[in-house]
Amino acid sequence: MKLVLSIALLFSILSAGKYDRVKITEDMSYVLVYHKGHAIKIHRIQDIKNHLTGTYAKISYPCPGQCIQPISFNDQIETVGEVEVVKFIKNQVNNNKGVVIDARPKKLYNQETIPSSINIPFSLSQNTKAMDNILAVLGVVKKPNGTFNVKKAINLIVYCNGPWCSKSEQLITGLLKKGYPADKIKYYRGGFQMWKSLGLTTVKTK
Amino acid sequence: MRNIQQTLLFFLLLPIFAIAQNNITEEKSSVTIEVDGKEHIIKRVEGKDVYLTNEFSLTSRPSPPFYIQAFKVSKGVDTYGELEVIDFLEKKKGVFIDARLTSWFEKSNIAGSVNIPFKVFLSDDTKRDNALIKLGAKKNKGTWNFSKVKTILLYCNGAWCGQSPAAIKALIEIGFPEKKMKYYRGGIQSWQLVGFTVNVPNKEATK
Repeated sequence: MKLVLSIALLFSILSAGKYDRVKITEDMSYVLVYHKGHAIKIHRIQDIKNHLTGTYAKISYPCPGQCIQPISFNDQIETVGEVEVVKFIKNQVNNNKGVVIDARPKKLYNQETIPSSINIPFSLSQNTKAMDNILAVLGVVKKPNGTFNVKKAINLIVYCNGPWCSKSEQLITGLLKKGYPADKIKYYRGGFQMWKSLGLTTVKTK
Repeated sequence: MRNIQQTLLFFLLLPIFAIAQNNITEEKSSVTIEVDGKEHIIKRVEGKDVYLTNEFSLTSRPSPPFYIQAFKVSKGVDTYGELEVIDFLEKKKGVFIDARLTSWFEKSNIAGSVNIPFKVFLSDDTKRDNALIKLGAKKNKGTWNFSKVKTILLYCNGAWCGQSPAAIKALIEIGFPEKKMKYYRGGIQSWQLVGFTVNVPNKEATK
Protein backbone atom coordinates (compact mmCIF):
# COMPACT_ATOMS: atom_id res chain seq x y z
CA MET A 1 0.00 0.00 0.00
CA LYS A 2 2.79 2.37 1.01
CA LEU A 3 4.65 1.55 -2.18
CA VAL A 4 1.59 2.30 -4.30
CA LEU A 5 1.20 5.63 -2.52
CA SER A 6 4.81 6.62 -2.93
CA ILE A 7 4.76 5.66 -6.60
CA ALA A 8 1.62 7.77 -7.04
CA LEU A 9 3.31 10.64 -5.22
CA LEU A 10 6.46 10.34 -7.28
CA PHE A 11 4.39 10.26 -10.44
CA SER A 12 2.48 13.39 -9.48
CA ILE A 13 5.74 15.19 -8.74
CA LEU A 14 7.28 14.16 -12.05
CA SER A 15 4.21 15.10 -14.03
CA ALA A 16 3.68 18.40 -12.27
CA GLY A 17 4.61 21.62 -14.01
CA LYS A 18 8.22 22.67 -14.01
CA TYR A 19 7.47 25.69 -11.83
CA ASP A 20 4.88 24.17 -9.50
CA ARG A 21 7.11 23.44 -6.52
CA VAL A 22 7.24 27.12 -5.66
CA LYS A 23 4.39 29.00 -7.28
CA ILE A 24 3.63 32.70 -7.60
CA THR A 25 0.00 32.39 -6.53
CA GLU A 26 -2.20 29.33 -6.10
CA ASP A 27 -3.36 29.49 -9.73
CA MET A 28 -0.22 30.90 -11.35
CA SER A 29 3.17 29.24 -11.72
CA TYR A 30 4.67 31.45 -14.39
CA VAL A 31 3.94 34.22 -16.87
CA LEU A 32 5.49 34.51 -20.29
CA VAL A 33 6.77 37.99 -21.28
CA TYR A 34 9.05 39.61 -23.78
CA HIS A 35 12.14 41.48 -22.70
CA LYS A 36 13.96 43.28 -25.51
CA GLY A 37 12.64 40.75 -28.02
CA HIS A 38 13.43 37.66 -25.98
CA ALA A 39 10.69 35.46 -24.54
CA ILE A 40 11.16 35.03 -20.81
CA LYS A 41 9.17 33.07 -18.24
CA ILE A 42 8.67 34.90 -14.98
CA HIS A 43 8.51 32.25 -12.26
CA ARG A 44 10.12 31.66 -8.88
CA ILE A 45 13.40 29.92 -8.10
CA GLN A 46 12.37 26.30 -7.53
CA ASP A 47 15.17 25.33 -5.14
CA ILE A 48 13.56 25.62 -1.70
CA LYS A 49 16.99 25.91 -0.11
CA ASN A 50 17.95 28.96 -2.13
CA HIS A 51 19.06 32.01 -0.15
CA LEU A 52 19.04 35.61 -1.26
CA THR A 53 22.67 36.62 -1.66
CA GLY A 54 24.62 39.57 -3.01
CA THR A 55 23.70 43.25 -3.05
CA TYR A 56 20.02 42.79 -2.27
CA ALA A 57 20.64 40.66 0.82
CA LYS A 58 22.28 43.73 2.33
CA ILE A 59 20.38 45.13 5.29
CA SER A 60 22.57 48.05 6.38
CA TYR A 61 21.50 51.19 4.60
CA PRO A 62 22.69 54.71 5.37
CA CYS A 63 19.96 57.21 6.13
CA PRO A 64 19.93 60.11 5.25
CA GLY A 65 20.04 58.66 1.76
CA GLN A 66 18.31 55.31 2.01
CA CYS A 67 15.56 56.07 4.48
CA ILE A 68 12.48 53.88 4.78
CA GLN A 69 9.63 55.07 2.61
CA PRO A 70 5.99 55.28 3.69
CA ILE A 71 3.58 52.73 2.23
CA SER A 72 2.09 55.54 0.15
CA PHE A 73 3.48 58.99 -0.64
CA ASN A 74 0.43 60.31 -2.46
CA ASP A 75 -3.23 59.41 -1.85
CA GLN A 76 -3.85 59.32 -5.59
CA ILE A 77 -1.17 56.73 -6.36
CA GLU A 78 -2.00 53.14 -5.52
CA THR A 79 0.74 50.96 -4.04
CA VAL A 80 1.00 47.40 -5.34
CA GLY A 81 2.92 44.21 -4.55
CA GLU A 82 4.47 41.40 -6.57
CA VAL A 83 1.21 39.61 -7.42
CA GLU A 84 -0.19 42.81 -8.91
CA VAL A 85 3.04 43.45 -10.83
CA VAL A 86 2.99 39.96 -12.37
CA LYS A 87 -0.70 40.26 -13.27
CA PHE A 88 -0.04 43.71 -14.74
CA ILE A 89 2.70 42.25 -16.93
CA LYS A 90 0.38 39.43 -18.01
CA ASN A 91 -2.66 41.59 -18.76
CA GLN A 92 -1.34 45.08 -19.49
CA VAL A 93 2.24 44.82 -20.73
CA ASN A 94 1.54 41.77 -22.90
CA ASN A 95 -1.36 43.62 -24.52
CA ASN A 96 0.59 46.85 -25.09
CA LYS A 97 -1.59 48.70 -22.60
CA GLY A 98 1.01 49.28 -19.96
CA VAL A 99 4.68 49.28 -19.08
CA VAL A 100 6.76 48.54 -15.99
CA ILE A 101 9.32 51.27 -15.30
CA ASP A 102 12.62 50.67 -13.55
CA ALA A 103 13.47 54.11 -12.08
CA ARG A 104 16.96 53.11 -10.97
CA PRO A 105 20.13 54.43 -12.60
CA LYS A 106 20.97 52.96 -16.00
CA LYS A 107 23.95 51.04 -14.63
CA LEU A 108 21.79 49.01 -12.25
CA TYR A 109 19.12 48.42 -14.91
CA ASN A 110 21.76 47.10 -17.29
CA GLN A 111 23.07 44.71 -14.65
CA GLU A 112 19.79 43.12 -13.65
CA THR A 113 16.12 44.04 -13.89
CA ILE A 114 12.53 42.80 -13.80
CA PRO A 115 11.61 41.18 -17.15
CA SER A 116 9.79 43.52 -19.55
CA SER A 117 10.71 46.70 -17.66
CA ILE A 118 12.05 49.75 -19.41
CA ASN A 119 14.52 52.09 -17.77
CA ILE A 120 13.61 55.67 -17.00
CA PRO A 121 16.18 56.83 -14.45
CA PHE A 122 14.59 59.10 -11.82
CA SER A 123 17.21 61.76 -12.58
CA LEU A 124 15.56 62.41 -15.94
CA SER A 125 12.49 63.84 -14.20
CA GLN A 126 14.50 67.07 -13.80
CA ASN A 127 15.26 67.22 -17.51
CA THR A 128 12.41 68.90 -19.45
CA LYS A 129 13.51 67.80 -22.90
CA ALA A 130 14.08 64.20 -21.83
CA MET A 131 10.70 64.15 -20.10
CA ASP A 132 8.97 65.32 -23.28
CA ASN A 133 10.51 62.40 -25.16
CA ILE A 134 9.61 59.97 -22.39
CA LEU A 135 6.02 61.20 -22.33
CA ALA A 136 5.78 60.68 -26.09
CA VAL A 137 6.83 57.03 -25.62
CA LEU A 138 4.18 56.65 -22.91
CA GLY A 139 1.41 57.85 -25.21
CA VAL A 140 1.25 61.50 -24.17
CA VAL A 141 1.02 63.97 -27.06
CA LYS A 142 2.50 67.46 -26.76
CA LYS A 143 0.20 69.95 -28.41
CA PRO A 144 1.54 72.92 -30.42
CA ASN A 145 0.61 75.28 -27.58
CA GLY A 146 2.91 73.39 -25.21
CA THR A 147 0.22 71.58 -23.21
CA PHE A 148 -0.13 67.80 -23.12
CA ASN A 149 -2.91 65.50 -24.25
CA VAL A 150 -2.89 62.66 -21.73
CA LYS A 151 -5.97 60.84 -23.05
CA LYS A 152 -3.93 57.99 -24.48
CA ALA A 153 -1.38 57.76 -21.67
CA ILE A 154 -0.65 54.09 -20.92
CA ASN A 155 -0.73 52.40 -17.50
CA LEU A 156 2.49 52.39 -15.49
CA ILE A 157 4.01 50.57 -12.56
CA VAL A 158 7.10 52.31 -11.20
CA TYR A 159 9.70 50.70 -8.94
CA CYS A 160 13.26 51.25 -7.75
CA ASN A 161 15.67 49.47 -5.39
CA GLY A 162 13.49 48.70 -2.40
CA PRO A 163 11.29 50.09 0.38
CA TRP A 164 14.20 52.35 1.36
CA CYS A 165 14.48 53.95 -2.06
CA SER A 166 12.82 57.26 -2.98
CA LYS A 167 13.60 57.27 -6.71
CA SER A 168 10.15 55.95 -7.71
CA GLU A 169 8.54 58.80 -5.83
CA GLN A 170 10.77 61.32 -7.60
CA LEU A 171 9.94 59.94 -11.05
CA ILE A 172 6.21 59.64 -10.32
CA THR A 173 6.12 63.20 -8.96
CA GLY A 174 7.83 64.36 -12.16
CA LEU A 175 5.23 62.58 -14.28
CA LEU A 176 2.35 64.02 -12.25
CA LYS A 177 3.75 67.52 -12.69
CA LYS A 178 3.49 67.02 -16.43
CA GLY A 179 -0.16 66.12 -16.01
CA TYR A 180 0.17 62.33 -16.23
CA PRO A 181 -3.11 60.89 -14.85
CA ALA A 182 -2.60 59.61 -11.29
CA ASP A 183 -4.98 56.70 -11.84
CA LYS A 184 -2.66 55.37 -14.53
CA ILE A 185 0.38 55.16 -12.26
CA LYS A 186 1.02 52.53 -9.61
CA TYR A 187 3.90 52.34 -7.15
CA TYR A 188 5.64 49.02 -6.47
CA ARG A 189 7.21 49.94 -3.14
CA GLY A 190 8.87 46.58 -2.45
CA GLY A 191 10.96 47.17 -5.55
CA PHE A 192 13.88 45.13 -6.76
CA GLN A 193 14.90 43.93 -3.30
CA MET A 194 11.53 42.36 -2.49
CA TRP A 195 11.20 40.97 -6.04
CA LYS A 196 14.49 39.15 -5.52
CA SER A 197 13.70 38.16 -1.94
CA LEU A 198 10.79 36.08 -3.30
CA GLY A 199 12.98 34.35 -5.87
CA LEU A 200 11.19 35.90 -8.86
CA THR A 201 12.88 35.82 -12.27
CA THR A 202 15.20 38.68 -13.27
CA VAL A 203 17.06 39.35 -16.49
CA LYS A 204 20.79 39.82 -16.28
CA THR A 205 23.14 41.25 -18.86
CA LYS A 206 26.30 39.24 -18.95
CA MET B 1 52.56 67.76 18.51
CA ARG B 2 50.26 65.33 20.26
CA ASN B 3 47.45 67.81 20.08
CA ILE B 4 47.87 68.19 16.35
CA GLN B 5 47.81 64.42 15.95
CA GLN B 6 44.64 64.15 17.97
CA THR B 7 42.99 66.93 15.99
CA LEU B 8 44.00 65.29 12.74
CA LEU B 9 42.65 61.94 13.91
CA PHE B 10 39.40 63.60 14.93
CA PHE B 11 38.88 65.11 11.50
CA LEU B 12 39.88 61.90 9.78
CA LEU B 13 37.33 59.89 11.75
CA LEU B 14 34.55 62.47 11.53
CA PRO B 15 33.27 61.50 8.08
CA ILE B 16 33.21 57.81 9.08
CA PHE B 17 30.86 58.55 11.96
CA ALA B 18 28.80 60.84 9.79
CA ILE B 19 28.37 58.16 7.10
CA ALA B 20 27.71 55.26 9.43
CA GLN B 21 24.30 56.54 10.44
CA ASN B 22 21.51 54.15 9.47
CA ASN B 23 18.47 56.11 10.55
CA ILE B 24 14.87 55.03 10.04
CA THR B 25 13.82 58.28 8.40
CA GLU B 26 15.63 61.59 8.09
CA GLU B 27 14.06 62.75 11.34
CA LYS B 28 14.19 59.52 13.33
CA SER B 29 17.25 57.51 14.29
CA SER B 30 15.39 55.21 16.68
CA VAL B 31 12.05 54.81 18.38
CA THR B 32 11.47 53.70 21.94
CA ILE B 33 8.22 51.94 22.65
CA GLU B 34 6.84 50.61 25.87
CA VAL B 35 4.87 47.40 26.08
CA ASP B 36 3.69 45.98 29.40
CA GLY B 37 6.11 48.18 31.30
CA LYS B 38 9.04 47.05 29.20
CA GLU B 39 10.98 49.33 26.92
CA HIS B 40 12.00 48.28 23.44
CA ILE B 41 14.23 50.27 21.14
CA ILE B 42 13.43 49.99 17.44
CA LYS B 43 16.29 50.91 15.14
CA ARG B 44 18.02 49.81 11.99
CA VAL B 45 21.14 47.68 12.05
CA GLU B 46 24.38 49.62 12.46
CA GLY B 47 27.45 49.34 10.31
CA LYS B 48 28.19 49.23 6.62
CA ASP B 49 28.15 45.78 5.09
CA VAL B 50 25.67 43.74 7.03
CA TYR B 51 23.82 40.98 5.15
CA LEU B 52 20.79 38.88 6.00
CA THR B 53 21.87 35.25 6.20
CA ASN B 54 19.34 33.63 8.53
CA GLU B 55 16.30 31.60 7.42
CA PHE B 56 14.52 34.79 6.37
CA SER B 57 16.88 35.13 3.43
CA LEU B 58 15.28 32.00 1.93
CA THR B 59 13.56 32.96 -1.33
CA SER B 60 11.44 29.94 -2.17
CA ARG B 61 8.99 28.50 0.29
CA PRO B 62 7.17 25.44 -1.07
CA SER B 63 3.64 25.64 -2.49
CA PRO B 64 1.31 24.64 -1.03
CA PRO B 65 0.93 26.13 1.49
CA PHE B 66 3.05 29.14 0.59
CA TYR B 67 2.15 31.60 -2.17
CA ILE B 68 2.89 35.29 -2.65
CA GLN B 69 0.07 37.23 -1.04
CA ALA B 70 -1.97 39.96 -2.71
CA PHE B 71 -1.04 43.48 -1.62
CA LYS B 72 -4.40 43.88 0.09
CA VAL B 73 -6.42 41.29 2.01
CA SER B 74 -9.65 43.21 1.59
CA LYS B 75 -10.67 46.66 0.37
CA GLY B 76 -11.34 48.07 3.83
CA VAL B 77 -8.22 46.67 5.49
CA ASP B 78 -5.22 48.99 5.16
CA THR B 79 -1.88 47.46 4.29
CA TYR B 80 0.95 48.86 6.38
CA GLY B 81 4.66 49.29 5.75
CA GLU B 82 7.37 49.63 8.38
CA LEU B 83 6.81 53.35 9.09
CA GLU B 84 3.11 52.78 9.66
CA VAL B 85 3.88 49.87 12.00
CA ILE B 86 6.24 52.08 14.02
CA ASP B 87 3.67 54.89 14.16
CA PHE B 88 1.04 52.38 15.35
CA LEU B 89 3.35 51.27 18.17
CA GLU B 90 4.57 54.73 19.10
CA LYS B 91 1.08 56.18 19.34
CA LYS B 92 -0.35 53.03 20.95
CA LYS B 93 -3.09 52.80 18.36
CA GLY B 94 -4.03 49.23 19.22
CA VAL B 95 -2.83 45.65 19.51
CA PHE B 96 0.09 44.46 17.36
CA ILE B 97 -0.48 40.76 16.70
CA ASP B 98 2.10 38.20 15.60
CA ALA B 99 -0.25 35.70 13.92
CA ARG B 100 2.37 32.97 13.54
CA LEU B 101 2.54 29.75 15.51
CA THR B 102 4.00 30.15 18.99
CA SER B 103 7.19 28.25 18.12
CA TRP B 104 8.04 30.98 15.58
CA PHE B 105 7.17 33.79 17.97
CA GLU B 106 9.44 32.34 20.63
CA LYS B 107 12.41 32.26 18.26
CA SER B 108 12.15 35.88 17.18
CA ASN B 109 9.47 38.48 16.75
CA ILE B 110 8.93 42.18 16.19
CA ALA B 111 9.19 44.20 19.39
CA GLY B 112 5.83 45.24 20.73
CA SER B 113 3.87 42.31 19.32
CA VAL B 114 1.78 39.77 21.17
CA ASN B 115 1.33 36.25 19.86
CA ILE B 116 -2.15 35.12 18.83
CA PRO B 117 -1.60 32.27 16.35
CA PHE B 118 -3.83 32.61 13.26
CA LYS B 119 -5.46 29.24 14.01
CA VAL B 120 -7.10 30.78 17.06
CA PHE B 121 -9.21 32.95 14.76
CA LEU B 122 -10.13 30.13 12.39
CA SER B 123 -12.28 28.02 14.69
CA ASP B 124 -15.54 28.76 16.45
CA ASP B 125 -14.58 27.84 20.01
CA THR B 126 -13.89 29.22 23.51
CA LYS B 127 -10.26 29.92 22.70
CA ARG B 128 -11.26 32.26 19.88
CA ASP B 129 -14.07 33.81 21.92
CA ASN B 130 -11.68 34.61 24.77
CA ALA B 131 -9.19 36.16 22.37
CA LEU B 132 -11.93 38.32 20.84
CA ILE B 133 -13.25 39.38 24.24
CA LYS B 134 -9.71 40.43 25.20
CA LEU B 135 -9.68 42.62 22.10
CA GLY B 136 -12.86 44.36 23.24
CA ALA B 137 -15.56 42.35 21.48
CA LYS B 138 -18.75 41.36 23.30
CA LYS B 139 -20.86 38.27 22.77
CA ASN B 140 -24.56 38.43 23.54
CA LYS B 141 -26.74 35.35 23.01
CA GLY B 142 -24.44 34.10 20.30
CA THR B 143 -24.20 37.46 18.51
CA TRP B 144 -20.98 39.44 18.39
CA ASN B 145 -20.82 43.15 19.09
CA PHE B 146 -17.62 44.69 17.76
CA SER B 147 -18.49 48.35 18.35
CA LYS B 148 -15.85 48.83 21.06
CA VAL B 149 -13.17 46.58 19.66
CA LYS B 150 -9.52 47.69 19.62
CA THR B 151 -7.70 48.27 16.34
CA ILE B 152 -5.50 45.30 15.51
CA LEU B 153 -2.43 45.10 13.29
CA LEU B 154 -1.40 41.63 12.12
CA TYR B 155 1.78 40.22 10.61
CA CYS B 156 3.37 36.86 9.94
CA ASN B 157 6.55 35.58 8.28
CA GLY B 158 6.54 37.60 5.08
CA ALA B 159 4.83 38.46 1.83
CA TRP B 160 4.73 34.70 1.10
CA CYS B 161 2.88 33.88 4.30
CA GLY B 162 -0.90 33.42 4.28
CA GLN B 163 -1.40 33.20 8.03
CA SER B 164 -2.23 36.81 8.88
CA PRO B 165 -4.43 37.15 5.74
CA ALA B 166 -6.28 33.96 6.80
CA ALA B 167 -6.87 35.39 10.27
CA ILE B 168 -8.12 38.70 8.83
CA LYS B 169 -10.47 36.92 6.42
CA ALA B 170 -11.89 34.78 9.25
CA LEU B 171 -12.46 37.91 11.33
CA ILE B 172 -14.20 39.70 8.46
CA GLU B 173 -16.54 36.71 8.17
CA ILE B 174 -17.76 37.06 11.74
CA GLY B 175 -18.22 40.81 11.41
CA PHE B 176 -15.02 42.31 12.84
CA PRO B 177 -14.93 45.80 11.24
CA GLU B 178 -12.43 46.01 8.38
CA LYS B 179 -11.47 49.55 9.40
CA LYS B 180 -10.27 48.16 12.73
CA MET B 181 -7.83 45.77 11.07
CA LYS B 182 -4.44 46.53 9.52
CA TYR B 183 -2.12 44.16 7.67
CA TYR B 184 1.68 44.41 7.76
CA ARG B 185 2.25 42.35 4.62
CA GLY B 186 6.05 42.54 4.62
CA GLY B 187 6.09 40.70 7.94
CA ILE B 188 9.18 39.73 9.86
CA GLN B 189 11.08 39.04 6.61
CA SER B 190 10.74 42.54 5.16
CA TRP B 191 11.26 43.97 8.63
CA GLN B 192 14.75 42.45 8.58
CA LEU B 193 15.44 43.11 4.91
CA VAL B 194 15.11 46.86 5.40
CA GLY B 195 17.47 46.62 8.34
CA PHE B 196 15.41 46.35 11.50
CA THR B 197 16.56 44.08 14.27
CA VAL B 198 14.26 41.44 15.72
CA ASN B 199 13.32 40.80 19.30
CA VAL B 200 14.62 37.48 20.64
CA PRO B 201 12.62 36.63 23.77
CA ASN B 202 14.82 33.80 25.10
CA LYS B 203 17.97 35.84 24.77
CA GLU B 204 16.44 38.57 26.86
CA ALA B 205 15.32 36.19 29.57
CA THR B 206 18.87 35.01 30.13
CA LYS B 207 20.28 38.52 30.36
